[in-house]
Amino acid sequence: MSMEEAFALAEAEAKLKAALNECQARFDKAKMPDRRNEDWRFGRPHVYAKQLVDTITARDNHNYFERMVICDKGNAATRLTRDDDDLLQTEMLMQTIGSDALLKRHIERFEDGYSLYIEEDTTEVIELVYETRSFCSPSTFIMVAPGVKAEVHIIYSCLEIGNIFAACNIQVAAGAELKVRVQAESDGSDGRCMIITNIQNMGGKVMHLTEYRGLRWAREETVAELYSPGSETKLFSANRLVGDSVLDQHTRQIHHVGGASSDLLYKNVVDDNATAIFAGNIYVAPGAHNTDAYQSNRNMLLSEKATVHSLPGLEILADKVRCSHGSASAPMDDEQLFYLCSRGISRRDAQLLVADGFLADVLNKFHGESQSS
Amino acid sequence: MDESPFQIDTRGEFVFPENHRFDAGYGLTEATIDYICDAKGEPDWVRAFRKDALRRFHEMPMPTHWAPEGINDLDFDKIRYYLAHGTAPYKSWEDVPDDVKRTFERLGVPEQERAFLAGVDAQYDSETAYNNMREELSKQGVIFVNSTEGLREYEHIFRPWFGKVIPVNDNKFSALNHAAFSGGSFIYVPKGVKLSQPLQAYFRINSESMGQFERTLIIADEGAELMYMEGCTAPKYDSATLHSGVVELVALKGAKIQYVTVQNWATNVYNLVIQRGLAMEDAEIRWIDCNIGSGLTMKYPAVVLQGRRARGEVISISLAHSGQLQDTGARMIHAAPETTSNIVAKSISIGEGRASYRGEVNVLKGMKGCKNNTECDALLINATSRTDTYPAISVNGNASAVQHEASVSQVDEEMLFYMQQRGLTRAQAMSLAVNGFINDLVKEFPMEYSVELRRLIDLEMEDSIG
Repeated sequence: MSMEEAFALAEAEAKLKAALNECQARFDKAKMPDRRNEDWRFGRPHVYAKQLVDTITARDNHNYFERMVICDKGNAATRLTRDDDDLLQTEMLMQTIGSDALLKRHIERFEDGYSLYIEEDTTEVIELVYETRSFCSPSTFIMVAPGVKAEVHIIYSCLEIGNIFAACNIQVAAGAELKVRVQAESDGSDGRCMIITNIQNMGGKVMHLTEYRGLRWAREETVAELYSPGSETKLFSANRLVGDSVLDQHTRQIHHVGGASSDLLYKNVVDDNATAIFAGNIYVAPGAHNTDAYQSNRNMLLSEKATVHSLPGLEILADKVRCSHGSASAPMDDEQLFYLCSRGISRRDAQLLVADGFLADVLNKFHGESQSS
Repeated sequence: MDESPFQIDTRGEFVFPENHRFDAGYGLTEATIDYICDAKGEPDWVRAFRKDALRRFHEMPMPTHWAPEGINDLDFDKIRYYLAHGTAPYKSWEDVPDDVKRTFERLGVPEQERAFLAGVDAQYDSETAYNNMREELSKQGVIFVNSTEGLREYEHIFRPWFGKVIPVNDNKFSALNHAAFSGGSFIYVPKGVKLSQPLQAYFRINSESMGQFERTLIIADEGAELMYMEGCTAPKYDSATLHSGVVELVALKGAKIQYVTVQNWATNVYNLVIQRGLAMEDAEIRWIDCNIGSGLTMKYPAVVLQGRRARGEVISISLAHSGQLQDTGARMIHAAPETTSNIVAKSISIGEGRASYRGEVNVLKGMKGCKNNTECDALLINATSRTDTYPAISVNGNASAVQHEASVSQVDEEMLFYMQQRGLTRAQAMSLAVNGFINDLVKEFPMEYSVELRRLIDLEMEDSIG
């Protein structure tokens, strides 16, 4: 090792140490979610968060997975162990949107999950399934090497009254292309799921889609960071909420450098007594000129008791940027319904068709227009 | 060349020596309140009311997640809460003391009154110095006095609405204003009376470390219409000056109120104003808001749409130079069916200036057929300028439509190049582009103000780049 290399290494180590210390300080100060915390204002923390905390804290380190499966022909995956310091550090450095206290507890006890290092193009979708009947708190790490194309499908399945608290860290190198589809679902009456995702884009292309089905309560915190010019990150979400379910989505698009682009499209169909919350933020750092950043939240309200809270946000500290956000919440178009009904389709079916069409737009964008679902 | 392509309008930058008969000193205590009440000769219920508000003010925390960081630098003990020449306003221009008269003459108030106003109220530090209204209006039953006189002479109209739109415990600054309020206007327009000319108030802070807590209540009875304009200036001192007004509007059935503000405080002024209107059935309230001055502005005009088919509108322009934070926005509460609202906000950030939009649109449960449209656009002039947008939109039920759009952009180099090619200087081109950006909003201001606004922007551009 040359002198310069030794210096560089020492410097990098010092930086990492400082960053970890900072995280530790942040964790020490972190408070449990409550309604006075702006990031939890509409998310009903008084009803849901406490139980989540209790379950994370009370759980011992046994494996509570009903099923943890990975279909990966390329053998890129390794089962996580606690002894891996690198992974622990990566997890410590993760950003949350108001849930540092929960992440801290997760790190104290995390044991299971998968780490995926994708070095070669994959032809088949890598599938990861986490399934629980009680409570599980998995970690997932996905790293994609320069120039590699891959697609990953993560399924979080809460059976019966299962709860999941998941942390997911995605790093994409220059020239790489990654598609991640995250599906959180429940077949029971009280499935709850919370997912914290960090996407670090170093110059590749990332598409990230989340779908929540049948959960009583779900919270998403997605932080997408763009670190080099030419990075492109697209975030999607499409959900249909029924019953008295609550979906609480928080996103942050952080442009550290100029010349990168990010886009977000979150659509929800809200029926019955359900509540959809979207709080997004685009942050363009000082000097990150020539940034393109967009954010769009669309909600279709189907019942009198459905509720939508939408808080899109922009913080622009640079010049020569193209940024916009839009939010619209409206009922279903009567004319579209009338058109379908006049062709003999029942009102209920017509509603489902229009709602499907509304959400299909997002799925098409994720899968590519040609591969219509 | 100056760092910023703009210069702040400096016409308000002059000061006359202080010459006050009443001075309550620094800090706000029960003794201060007794001093204010004694000076004004207020009834006991007002004294008790103020003291109760003071207690709440001390109990309440500073606003947290909404407030910008700069607000914690504000020291309530270093503010003077009551300074006045006398407590009764002069009705004739000749009687106004010389230094006050010179102040307002310099700001062009008497000419404007002669030219196009129906009435004027000029506040100097804590009290109104001059108040006048055209005679034919008082014959129609229009009341236009300062708040002290309103409470004394028209208690039966004033008191039922006093603190009803903005309650004392709304937030810390509302409590502060309820405790220390002085000056501001009380206006009552009777049923069916439509004012063809606007009423104007002029707010002037002359003294150092002054806190101005004006209180305005405007009641438009059924079918009445009026336009009210306010302008604000202050000289720049080294110590902070606080302007924390409360403005309550009540538009009864079918009434229309337009409230125009052009705020040009000096950059050491904290401008923390609460403005809220209550619109009953078929009524309309429009806030037209222009923020050019002050170091820190927090101002979110609100309309509570309380009656069926009520309409609310906020039109807002803000200009943030280096050292300024314009935290402005709008709130619309749809509390009745078929209510509609519109928000258009445009901001310009220059140098290291920061302009933020904060908004709330809330369609309450069970309200059908409500519509809201929100647009906010930001223009960034320099690489160090900053802009933020933080809207919060809540919709309950499937019978209302709400949409929000925001965009951020900068003056297009190509556009400037095109204009320069045709013989304009860069400053002229820039000024034309900025004027184009806010053109559709400037049209909403009364003629005299819109001409003034355009001239202001032209001037600032030419001063710097040309």
